Amino acid sequence: MQTLEEVLRRYEAVIGLEVHTELTTLETKMFCGCKLEFGAEPNTHTCPVCLGLPGALPVPNKAAIESIVLAGLATNCDIEKHSMFYRKNYMYPDMAKNFQTTQGPVAFCMRGHLDLEVGGAAAKERYGIQDAAAGDAFENVTVTDDGYRAHIGITRIHMEEDAGKMVHIGGEEGRIAGATHSLVDYNRAGTPLIELVTEPDLRTPEEARLFMQKLRQIYLTLGISDCSMEEGSLRCDGNVSLRRRGSTELGTKTELKNINSFKSLHDGLLYEIRRQAQVLDEGGTIYQETRHWDPSAKRTIVMRVKETADDYRLFPEPDLAPYDLTDEFIQRVRAKLPELPDQKAERFQKEFGLSAYDAQHLVEHRATAAFFEACMAFASEEGADAAKLAKPVANLIINDVTAWLNANPDAALDGSALTPARAVELVGLVDAGTISSKQGKEVFAAVLEEDADPRAIVEARGMEQVSDAGAIEAVVDAVLAENPDKVEQYKGGKTGLIGFFVGQCMKQMAGKGNPQLINQLLEEKLS
Amino acid sequence: MPFGQMSVRQLQEGLAAKEFSCHEVARSVLDAIERADEGVHAFLEVTADAALAAADALDERVAQGTFVQVGALAGVPVGYKDNMNLAGTHTTCSSNMLESYISPYTATCVAKTLSAGAMPVGKLNMDEFAFGSSTETSAFGPTFNPWDVTRVPGGSSGGSAAAVAAGMLPVTLGSDTGGSIRQPASFCGVVGVKPTYGVVSRYGIVAFGSSLDQVGPFARTVEDAALAMNAIAGHDPLDCTSQPCTVDFTANLDEGVSGMRIGVIPAFLEAEGLSAEVKAKMEEVAQKLEAAGAELHEIELPNAKAAISAYYVLGPCEAFSNLARFDSVRYGYSDPGHQDLGSQYEASRAKGFGPEARRRIMLGSYLLSAGVYDQYYYPAQQVRTLITEDYTKAFQEVDCLLAPTAPRTAFKFGEIAEPTEMYLSDMFTISINIAGNGGMSMPVGLGADTGLPVGAQLISPAFADQNMLRVAAELERIYGAAPVAPDFRAGE
Repeated sequence: MQTLEEVLRRYEAVIGLEVHTELTTLETKMFCGCKLEFGAEPNTHTCPVCLGLPGALPVPNKAAIESIVLAGLATNCDIEKHSMFYRKNYMYPDMAKNFQTTQGPVAFCMRGHLDLEVGGAAAKERYGIQDAAAGDAFENVTVTDDGYRAHIGITRIHMEEDAGKMVHIGGEEGRIAGATHSLVDYNRAGTPLIELVTEPDLRTPEEARLFMQKLRQIYLTLGISDCSMEEGSLRCDGNVSLRRRGSTELGTKTELKNINSFKSLHDGLLYEIRRQAQVLDEGGTIYQETRHWDPSAKRTIVMRVKETADDYRLFPEPDLAPYDLTDEFIQRVRAKLPELPDQKAERFQKEFGLSAYDAQHLVEHRATAAFFEACMAFASEEGADAAKLAKPVANLIINDVTAWLNANPDAALDGSALTPARAVELVGLVDAGTISSKQGKEVFAAVLEEDADPRAIVEARGMEQVSDAGAIEAVVDAVLAENPDKVEQYKGGKTGLIGFFVGQCMKQMAGKGNPQLINQLLEEKLS
Repeated sequence: MPFGQMSVRQLQEGLAAKEFSCHEVARSVLDAIERADEGVHAFLEVTADAALAAADALDERVAQGTFVQVGALAGVPVGYKDNMNLAGTHTTCSSNMLESYISPYTATCVAKTLSAGAMPVGKLNMDEFAFGSSTETSAFGPTFNPWDVTRVPGGSSGGSAAAVAAGMLPVTLGSDTGGSIRQPASFCGVVGVKPTYGVVSRYGIVAFGSSLDQVGPFARTVEDAALAMNAIAGHDPLDCTSQPCTVDFTANLDEGVSGMRIGVIPAFLEAEGLSAEVKAKMEEVAQKLEAAGAELHEIELPNAKAAISAYYVLGPCEAFSNLARFDSVRYGYSDPGHQDLGSQYEASRAKGFGPEARRRIMLGSYLLSAGVYDQYYYPAQQVRTLITEDYTKAFQEVDCLLAPTAPRTAFKFGEIAEPTEMYLSDMFTISINIAGNGGMSMPVGLGADTGLPVGAQLISPAFADQNMLRVAAELERIYGAAPVAPDFRAGE
């Protein structure tokens, strides 16, 4: 198979996503009062309604409607005031009524979009970006200094209910093939689910990954779901097709399933694009089919071939009246919208003079953004120059804190030994030259390990950096006096000896000398 | 007089005066059912234990002197159509599919009768899943019309109508999707009320056509029906199509019809298939109401003729989807020995459902399929809007409409074999379900030719069900309360 770059030179990859999100932060299910709880004993959170017993009727969960309207407002959707629930009829044991209650042609949220900032290596995947200059615009893209901004349309977000969970017994790895029987857990049946469908506006696996990451951040900020891809509360299917560069006709798409991480989404799409290109290059045909991403084998395999479109016999759900959302309701929900990651990043740039890059990185996680804000608030309370500290605090978070969080997936910033006060103190120590930035990293680790204040650590370890010019000058003079031959050689052009002099000074100062000052004084005296 | 043949008022007065106890009433009614039901087959299950337990609890209230506060149906033995869930009892819908199904929960309308003091005596026969107009499609054998056991009781709530007509119970509940309360009430000569859609909760009633189904009472007097309405009406948080209701349905029964504007529908009286004796009765009823002081108006319902066509699109579509849950996986009939899900589904449903149920499921499945939907379902919804507008317009001119309930009196078993001919039994009732208004059947004596009961249908504006009850009370003063069927009368 060819590389992605090779494929994308000749083909345009057209990608659309369908994202299912369980509204896990709600108390109860979509159409009954059963509790939402992941991992409970099977079939303990059920009732006549979610078991589809004869005669049971649905009653919509108003809080779920509020959640989907929040999601719609946060993704720039139009909120449809008049919409209806529909019945999607198909028979399968995980759906006790044998129809899924969902929405019809008009969903609560229609016609939205998200703008993606694509930078660094990720931007290079996009065909045509290399030849463009900042400010250029083509397709759905505006070129920026660091990469590009892509406009991704959202077709709709609709409300529906989740199915129960099937467990197949006796087959390999819990697969249905070869299973002797299946068990159904209806605890999940009726969980409120919102499905977001994008326009086929994505062109690279990186864009798809970024879209999902951004959407997840938005949903987390809204507090409508825990968005766990592992536990299945955030699920994503990717549709991908290829077409020759210059063609406007869509190719046959395949649907990618079993994506349980951002990496799987990226890798699965990447594989699928390369596979399709190979099939097309060999004169083969792409079949409309559902393919399963196997992360260990690093390939996709056919799950189901769709010969004809499914006929779900969709019709308006007669047990639920059409939904009319009032302007007052929508206004009330709008007033509850928290500051979204993009807005926060913009504010960080304005308020603290951060770069777009730094600001975007800070808001990538709610915890890091909140921590940054807490640091800034602490600094101003202490009368420190918050604006001056912003950049180093941001660096500390983006580099050290993020690395620590990545290395310790179970750790949480909130409640850790690194309080905003300690972070500001640590940054202050480096900024004032009390310790070097290299020592800063040591102190950072020590704070987390020993649960102690940075200043106390610096004192206990005797790390204060000597920045007293007089003291340093005395050492510099002594070193130069001790090594007249080396001074001669330096003056004769062997300027590389500067490292030797610095080392000698540091040695005399037990490593506490301010290296910048030492350098500066040495250069003055040797010139 | 046997307790089952008393009115609610007679029962409650006797109980309050301690002339007899609730236990005696329940015991006696259960014994009478055992004797009489052999020839009627109204009951699919007699819930003796539940009835006696309720009776004993009510007798406690009598002893404490708090009996009068119990509720509208205090001490009244009540039976329920077998599509209504009562926890711990069977809910079969007269289908092999649910023959062994025991419900873990209770329908709201049933629970409301119980909290109003009713004693639950049993579950009543019906057409399978309420698909039919004769109770002949019951998988457990038909119910016999107490007026003539060679004839059908009507349907689908045939058991509910027959139990009241035979004097086994003063009050029963039924459900009506296209005429399933009114037509059997007419055939059995009792009062049958289909309230406005939304007046009574549907929670716990096995759905047929969710947008059409409505629960209502059968009784022999208008007051008894109104008392049962008082017990079951009102908003239910478990049914979001139910509406708040604060009406006392007994309040205006004595007001008479003087000054009331009553509409007659000439097109209905000219309809093909309307028997001469029913037509003559309708003309007589109109004259008598006019003589009692009502103003008669002629009303046109230009789109009502399309009601049956629309109904046999919308009903099967909803039924197809509502009945999909009967798949043999979690409960209900499961055909043994299948190795894969598909064949188990197919065999279980083919054997579990009777022919009429299968017919409607297949019809609905076809009508909703891609490409067909736009030709049938969508136009049917448009027809629905037009019919609703017809009624809205009519009720700007009148307070109540008068029409035949059924085109003829009860027919013989097997007499109507063609499904589409059977569907015409509901030609005068279906448009009311389509529009959602209230409708009821009121016995107005016997047909001149057949000597069998004839029902007059009264139709109310939406959420003004008290209007039709007021007219019905006047008809009761004219024609007398519904008599127990001759062969079942006490002392005869």
